[in-house]
Amino acid sequence: MPATEYQGSFLGRISIRRNQVVSMDGPHEQELEDLDLFQRNIADRFSELLPSSSPLPPPPPPADGAGEGDPSGPAPASADAPFLSVAWLRKLLDVFLCCEAEFKAFLIMGRERDPSVIAKAPLDRLLPELLDRAVKALDVCNAVMHGVDAVRHCQKLSEIAVAALEQQPIGEGQARRAKKALGSMMTVLAAEDKESSGHKSTERTWSFGRRGSSAGANKDRSAAVQFRTLSWGVSKNWSASKQIQAMSANLAMPRGAEASGLALPVYIMGAITVFVMSALVAAIPCQERTGLAMHLQVPKQFTWAQPMTALQEKIGEEWKRKEKRGAAGLMEEVQRMERLGQALAEFADSFQFPSEGERAEEAVARAAELAETCRKMEEGLVPLQMQIREVFHRIVRSRSEVLDVLDQAGKLSAPTM
Amino acid sequence: MESDPSDKSYPITPKEQDPKEDGGSSPVSRSHGADQREGWVTSQVERNDEDEGKKDQEKIETSETAEEKADDVDPEVHYSLEKALEDIDKLATILSSTNNENDSPEIPEYVGRLMDFVEAEVAGYCTNLGEGKAKWSQDAEVNSFLEIVDRISKLATVLVPCKCREKFASLINQVGKIQQQALSFLEDEFRVLLDECRPIDLEKEGSVKSKQESTEESDQSIEEGDSFGYANDIMSSLNKMAKEMVSCGYESECCQVYIVTRRNSFEELFNMFGFENISIDDVQKIQWEALEREIVKWIKTFKQCALVYFYQELRLAEAVFAGYPSIATHLFYNLTRSMLIQILNFSEAVALSSKRSAEKLFKFLDMYETLRDTTSAMDRYFKDEDNASQLKTEINTAKSRIGEAIVSMFRDLENSIKSDTGKNPVPGGAVHPLTSYTINYLKYASEYTETLEQVFKEHLKIERADSNNRTEFQGENNQNNSEKESSPFSIQLTRVMDLLDANLEAKSKLYKDVSLSFIFMMNNGRYILQKVKGSAEINELMGNNWRRKKSSELRQYHKNYQRETWSKVLGCFRDEGLNVHGKVSKPELKERFKTFNAMFEEIHKTQSAWIVKDEQLQSELRVSIAAVVIPAYRSFLGRHWQHFTAGRQSEKYVKYQPEDLETYIDEFFDGTPATTGRRKQ
Repeated sequence: MPATEYQGSFLGRISIRRNQVVSMDGPHEQELEDLDLFQRNIADRFSELLPSSSPLPPPPPPADGAGEGDPSGPAPASADAPFLSVAWLRKLLDVFLCCEAEFKAFLIMGRERDPSVIAKAPLDRLLPELLDRAVKALDVCNAVMHGVDAVRHCQKLSEIAVAALEQQPIGEGQARRAKKALGSMMTVLAAEDKESSGHKSTERTWSFGRRGSSAGANKDRSAAVQFRTLSWGVSKNWSASKQIQAMSANLAMPRGAEASGLALPVYIMGAITVFVMSALVAAIPCQERTGLAMHLQVPKQFTWAQPMTALQEKIGEEWKRKEKRGAAGLMEEVQRMERLGQALAEFADSFQFPSEGERAEEAVARAAELAETCRKMEEGLVPLQMQIREVFHRIVRSRSEVLDVLDQAGKLSAPTM
Repeated sequence: MESDPSDKSYPITPKEQDPKEDGGSSPVSRSHGADQREGWVTSQVERNDEDEGKKDQEKIETSETAEEKADDVDPEVHYSLEKALEDIDKLATILSSTNNENDSPEIPEYVGRLMDFVEAEVAGYCTNLGEGKAKWSQDAEVNSFLEIVDRISKLATVLVPCKCREKFASLINQVGKIQQQALSFLEDEFRVLLDECRPIDLEKEGSVKSKQESTEESDQSIEEGDSFGYANDIMSSLNKMAKEMVSCGYESECCQVYIVTRRNSFEELFNMFGFENISIDDVQKIQWEALEREIVKWIKTFKQCALVYFYQELRLAEAVFAGYPSIATHLFYNLTRSMLIQILNFSEAVALSSKRSAEKLFKFLDMYETLRDTTSAMDRYFKDEDNASQLKTEINTAKSRIGEAIVSMFRDLENSIKSDTGKNPVPGGAVHPLTSYTINYLKYASEYTETLEQVFKEHLKIERADSNNRTEFQGENNQNNSEKESSPFSIQLTRVMDLLDANLEAKSKLYKDVSLSFIFMMNNGRYILQKVKGSAEINELMGNNWRRKKSSELRQYHKNYQRETWSKVLGCFRDEGLNVHGKVSKPELKERFKTFNAMFEEIHKTQSAWIVKDEQLQSELRVSIAAVVIPAYRSFLGRHWQHFTAGRQSEKYVKYQPEDLETYIDEFFDGTPATTGRRKQ
C-alpha cells in the first residue's frame, strides 16, 4: 500500500526533526514547510481517488448489463478500484488513516514547539470541537459497519440466485429459487429506503404466536425480519444525515490571526473527517440518510480543496441520482447488485420452461455479472469492515491522545502552588 | 406407513378452510393464481401461476373434498410412497448408468405419472406439515417427506451432469421444481422453528424431559441437548432440516436464515436485559445517574452473554449443524463477533466520556472487572484460534480503554488536589473537606486494590511501550526501587497522599495563628492516619514506613503547638526577673499574674473555638496542656501565694485555682467559643 509509504516518510521527517534542536532554523519557517507538505500529501492522495475521466458517463440503461461486466457503472477511479467500489472505499479509508497519522504528528510537534498554545484561543475551542467530531465519527463507523453486514447478507442472497441461474438449462425450480433469494434481497435493500424516510413503525409487530395461522404470515414475517437488518446495532433514533450535519456544523475555516499555527491543520483534519464519513454514509446503506448533504464548503485556495470538492461533487451527483432511483447505497457493487437483481428477479418471475433465446442468454450474462460482483464483495467486504473497525479504534486512540495533550496543557496553565 | 396418499393430500381441516370460502371467491377462481398467494399452496411454496394452473387446480380441488379426490386421483395413480421411492431409485440407476454414454436411455413410461405423484405428495406434505401439527422430530410424516426430498435430490444430482439434457429437459425441470418446492418449504419451516426455539426454562425442565424421552429418534450429538438449555426434539428437528438443506445444496439459504434469525433473537435478549443501543454521541450527553443505570444493565448483559448465552449459542450451532462443524463454527463466530462488538461499543462509549469525574470510578471498576472476569469463561468455548483471538483482542481493547479511563480518573484526582487552592482556611483548624474527600475516596478505591494494581500495571506497560525510547532512564530509576515497582497502585496512592500533604501544608500557611496551623496539620494528619489504619487494604498499601513517618510528623506538630502556644505562658512562672535584690518584687509578681491571667483567658477564648473532632487527639492535647501548665502554675502559686494579702488582693491577682485551669483546659478545642468571664460568674 502506498499508504504506509507516505506515512513512513512524513512521520519519519517529523520524528527526525523532533530529535533536532527545534529552534535551530527558525521554528516558524519549519512549521510552514511542514504544513505545506501535509497539505500536498492530502492533495495527492485525494487526486488519486478521483475517477480518471472527469465527466461521468450517463448511467447505463438497465438492459445493457450483458457484457464485459466492468465499465457500465460509474467511471473507474482506477482500473482496479472503480469509483465508489469496495476497493475504492478501502483506498479512501487508507487515505483517512494516513492523513490522520500525519495530523497527529503535526499536533504533537506543534505542542512541542510551544506547549502553551494548546490552552490558548483558538485551540482551546477547536480541540474540544475536534474531539466532539471524533465521537460522532465513531457512531458513523458503527452504523456503516452494520451497513456492511446488511450488504453482506444481500451478497449471500445474490449468490444463491447466481448459483440457481448458473445451472443449464434453467428450470422452473431454479427460477423460483432465484426469485425467492432476490426477493429477500430486494426487501432488505428496499427496507433501507423506507427506513430513510422514517418508517420504522413495523418494528417487532411481527412477533405473534406460534406458527401464524397461515404460512402467508411466514412470508410477511421473514420480510419483516429482514426489514430490521439495517437497524441492527444502531440506536433507534439515530440519523446518519443528522450526524454528518452535526459534524460539519461548527467546522469553519480559521481566519486572520487564527489561521496560523495549529488551527489550520485542525480545520483540515475536520474537513477530511467530515468528507470521508459522509462518503461512507452515501456509499454504504445505513440508517436514516434523508437530506444527506455532500457539500462541505472548502476554500478554493488550498491545494487539496480541488480534488476533495471534485469528489464531493461526483458523490453528490450520484446521490441525487440515487434519490430518484431508490438505490440502497452508492457503493458500486450494491448498485450493480440491485440493478442486476431487479432484472433477474423480473426474468425469474416471468420464467417459463423451457427458456430459450435472447432473454435466457441475457439472464445468463447477467447472472455471470452478478457472480463477478459477488466475488468482488466476497473479497472486499470483510477487509472493508475490518478497516472500518481500525478507523474506529484509531479515532478512539487519537482522541485520548489529544485529551492527554489538553490535560498537560491544563496543568501548564493551572496556577502552580 | 400408509400407502394411500389421500390422507396426506387432505390436510386442511374444514374449519381452517372456512375463512377462505367466506372470502367471496368461487372455488374455481380460488384455484387460480391470484388467490394462491394467500392460500395454502403458495404459502408454503411459491408457485408459478401460469404454467402450473392446471396441475394446481387439480390438486387444490382434490384436496378440497375427499370424495372428489378419491374419485379423480385414486383410479389414476397407483403409486404408494414406497413404490414411488423405489421407482425414483430405479430411474436414478438407469440414468446414472448411462451417464457417460451418448446413447440416451428412453425415459420409462411411468416417469410422468411418478413425477406427478411425487409432486402432489410433496405439495401435500408441505401443506400438512406446515399447518403446525408436525412435531418435526417425531412425526412419521416428516421422515417420509425427508425421504422423498432426499431421493429427489439424488435424482437431481444424477440428472444435472447428464449429457442428454435436451431429451430429459422436462424431467429435469420437474425434478428441480419439486426439489425447490420442498426446500423452500423447509427453509420457511426452519426459520419458524428456529425463531421460536427458546432455551428451556429451568423450572419447567422436568416436564420437558419426559417429553424428550418419548422421542423416537435420538441423535448422538444432540443427546446432551438439555444440558445447554434447548429441547432435544427441537434440536433434532432443526438438525434434520439443516442437514437436508445443506446436502441438497441449500446451505446458503440455511445459513442466512440462521444468521438473521439468531441475530434477531439476540436483539430480543438485549431487550430483555434492558440493554439498549445508545449512540456513542448520546452516551456523552447522558446524565451520570442515568448512565449508571445503563452500566448496570450492560454489566448484566455482558456477564450473561459471556457466561451463558454465547456458550449456548455455540452449542446451538453445533446441535443444529451437527455433522457440519465448519458451518457451525463459521456461523457461531460470525454471530458472536457482531454481538460482542455491539455490546463492547457501549463500554467504549462510556470509556470515552470526557466529563470524567472521580466518583464514576467505581462503576468503571465494575465494568473493568466484568470484562476481566469473563475472559476465562469465554476461553472455555472460544476454541477456534483465529476467530477467538480476534474476539479476545476486542475484549482486551475494551478492557484497557476502561483501564485507561480509570488511570485518568486518578490523574483527575491529582489535578483536583493540586488545583484546590482556596484562600479561605477552614475555621477552627478542622479537617479540610479535601482531606476527607480524598481519603474516603482512596479508602473506597482500595477495596478494589487487586483490580487497581492490575489497571496500573497495564498502564505502565502501555506507557513504556508508547515511549520506550523516552523513558528509558525512568525505567532504570524504577528498577532501583524494586519494592515499589511491584505495586504500581501503592505508588499511585503514595503520590496522591504526597500531593495531599503538600496541599495541606500550603493550606496551613493560610492561618495567621501559627498554633492553629499546627492544630490544622494535626487534625488532618490524624484523620488521614486513622482512616488508613481503619482500612486493611490501604493500610497495607501505605506500609509501615509511611505510618511511622506520619506518626512522628504528628508528634512534631504537637510539640510545635505546645511550644508556640505555651512557652510564653510558662515564661510567666520563671523566677528570673522576679527577684530584686533577693526579694520578690511585688509589682513584678502582680504583673506576672496579670499577664498569665490575660494570656490564659485569651488562649482559652481562642482555642476553645478551635476544633479537634478526634476525641483521642482532643484529650491528648488537653492532657498534655494540663501536664505542662498546671504543675508549673501550681508550684508558682505555691511559692508566691503568701506575697499577696488574703482577700481582695489575692482575689484580684490569683484569678484561677489550679483546678479551675483544668476545667478551662477541658473546654479547649471544642469548637464552641466560650469566655472565661461568663464562666466565672
